[in-house]
Amino acid sequence: MFKKIFVLVIALVFLTSAAYAATTTLTVVGDAGHNMRPFEWYEGDFRELYGVELIQVGVPFGLLYESQRIEFIGETGAYDFMIVYPKFLAEFAANGWLYPLDDFIQEKDPNFDDIIPAYLEFYCKYKGEVFALPYDGDVLSLYYRLDLLENEEEKAAFQDKHGYELKVPETWDEFLDVAEFFTRKAGETLAGEVLNRDFYGTAYYGVKDQLWGWWAAMFASHGGVYFDEETFEPGINSEAAVKATEIMMEFHNYSPPDVLAYGYEELKDVFLEGDCFMVMQWPCIGKKGADPAESRIVGKIGATHVPGVRVNGEVYFRAPMPAGRVLAIAADAEDPWKAYQVIWHLSVVTSLDDVSTHLTGLDPYRFSHFEHPEAYGMFEEIRDAEIYLAGLRQNLENGFPELTLPGTVEYLDTLGVELTNAIVGAKEPQQALDDAASAWRDITNRLGFEAQKAFYVELVEGWREAGLWD
Amino acid sequence: MSMKGKRERYLPLFFVLPTVIIILIISIFPLIYSFWLSLCEWEIGIGADRVFVGLRNYARLLTDSRFLNSLMNTGRVLFFGVGAQFALGLGVALLLNRSFRGKNLVSTLFLLPMMVSPVVVGCIWRIIYHYRYGPLNYMLNMAGLSSVNWLGSTDMAIYSIILADIWEWTPFMMIVLLAGLQAIPDELYEAARVDGANRWQIFTYMLVPLLRPVMIIVILIRIMDTFKIFDLVFLITFGGPGQASETVSFYNYLTGFRHFSMGYASSMAYFQLAIIVIIANIFLRVWRRREEA
Repeated sequence: MFKKIFVLVIALVFLTSAAYAATTTLTVVGDAGHNMRPFEWYEGDFRELYGVELIQVGVPFGLLYESQRIEFIGETGAYDFMIVYPKFLAEFAANGWLYPLDDFIQEKDPNFDDIIPAYLEFYCKYKGEVFALPYDGDVLSLYYRLDLLENEEEKAAFQDKHGYELKVPETWDEFLDVAEFFTRKAGETLAGEVLNRDFYGTAYYGVKDQLWGWWAAMFASHGGVYFDEETFEPGINSEAAVKATEIMMEFHNYSPPDVLAYGYEELKDVFLEGDCFMVMQWPCIGKKGADPAESRIVGKIGATHVPGVRVNGEVYFRAPMPAGRVLAIAADAEDPWKAYQVIWHLSVVTSLDDVSTHLTGLDPYRFSHFEHPEAYGMFEEIRDAEIYLAGLRQNLENGFPELTLPGTVEYLDTLGVELTNAIVGAKEPQQALDDAASAWRDITNRLGFEAQKAFYVELVEGWREAGLWD
Repeated sequence: MSMKGKRERYLPLFFVLPTVIIILIISIFPLIYSFWLSLCEWEIGIGADRVFVGLRNYARLLTDSRFLNSLMNTGRVLFFGVGAQFALGLGVALLLNRSFRGKNLVSTLFLLPMMVSPVVVGCIWRIIYHYRYGPLNYMLNMAGLSSVNWLGSTDMAIYSIILADIWEWTPFMMIVLLAGLQAIPDELYEAARVDGANRWQIFTYMLVPLLRPVMIIVILIRIMDTFKIFDLVFLITFGGPGQASETVSFYNYLTGFRHFSMGYASSMAYFQLAIIVIIANIFLRVWRRREEA
């Protein structure tokens, strides 16, 4: 008897050790919070299916880039794989910090045919080689209060004031009219009810790191481009840029007074708490808006394309694509194949579940994500999910790509500072944009004019191939 | 020299050697290396080589409007922040330099802000300053005043940082000045009173001269701290709106760890160091001159 127990214990110890030895511990870094939830949810699956024990490192949204870059530069090998903002993918890949995935893709197909070309071409590739799999498809859409738009009293008042029917704004002029119309002080009436606090026509992401994204909706729809392809002169002080800035300055008047301190959370809250008529926002706002735990305006949200300009009777609009997320593997990862299996799992197997829940901030990036409105269970009716997805799709087809040059953080940071100067009236729009352009020239010269130009030309070719550049 | 004599001479050096080596590695070497970097252009984000550019980074500092703005903001924190901390700290120290029941409890309560982690202070003040839901605007509204745009106004943001800094560091001024006050013998107060001095005369002709060394040191420490102010800026405004509340150390961080221009960031750090050294020398000279007088 004793002998049998002894043998059993030994066998147990052996099996446990073998199982432990077969498990590889991998460290993943990403922006802390709801976008890392899938790593927690499927932790058991990763262990069981791929023998991967995950260590998760979450850093604040705005600090992910520098956290990763510092570890890469120091060659610490701290992270095996990571969430990367696509605008930094080229920079990371060019420095040899990421593991190329083409061989792995041959072995385990991530179903690229199902990925929306924009997200594949300039989210995941560098010089034609794949370095990442998509995880989150971001594009700005316009979200508005459907209930207020359909309110008869408001419709009549708008008609009286502007001489045309109150409807979803399609152009920037209409957008400003509607934003002004719905900006009300506490004590005034909105849809028949007396407001107990101020109500705003609109709001935007005012913190300098992403401010450009909201401005870019106006800039791009007026034909603005980042740089001239021939001369590599910055295009951010062009006529289109000045017009965009002037619109932004008016836009600001119908926004909360502290909007320049607004990041993602504040912008989400002001809309979902019912204090604002419309916002351009990332897609997750539509899903979170349908969750009663997060939203006071459940069932009252409409979604459509961002406004644009009317050209020959047609509305020309461009929806900026700031942020987004991909999953990439560090060049010095302990076990790149196992890391690939994990990111493949997230990008292929669980992706629909992850983008169709309000518990993450992840948004659709595959065609199949748009074909299953029933998966978006937070919407009371499938029709609401269809409206949400249709609005998103319209914007995707007219996406304005994010700048992904080396030095992007500095380019966009400088632009954000100068846009703020213009918005608050510290500088005339043209002066502010000229100063931003001058700073961009300095950055370009420091980082190498020819290299940056070549990089940009290549980017533009990629955008053209994806059908997102004229 | 005999063997024993040699041993006695070199043995202490042997004991000190590990410390010297450690200091050389972690302090002196980075100091020299970063000075060398400040004379180079080194864009590590693109994997570029270091290029020696002489004083070009320093010249760039003088024409960089964003740097000059950050310098101006640091000056505002120095003038208004440290100034208010000193005035309030001295006032509270004078109040606490009397005997009353519960003095120890009150002193401890005054010290609490200083004991809180700066990160927590930053997070708390960000909530306090919230335009719509912050308790500060709520109280202002209760008092019949309008809400203040603490974080979203380019004019106000730096003063929001200053206010939080005053809250956090006034206790430090208070405790050091209180220690100085308590070191003044009671006999001097009695002698002054016997000579017919009123409270104001005691304060200006007796306390201030006697406290001057302590005042100089505590202000100097806070000036040096102010040049390093980072956590509150990072957590409360992230330097914004735009560049409105960027201080030198925050802009230095952006340059070094977000833009990864290591040469330029090093020159900024040295420029900052030079200013601190100049200010410290001025203060110490004033102190010595008074001492000699």
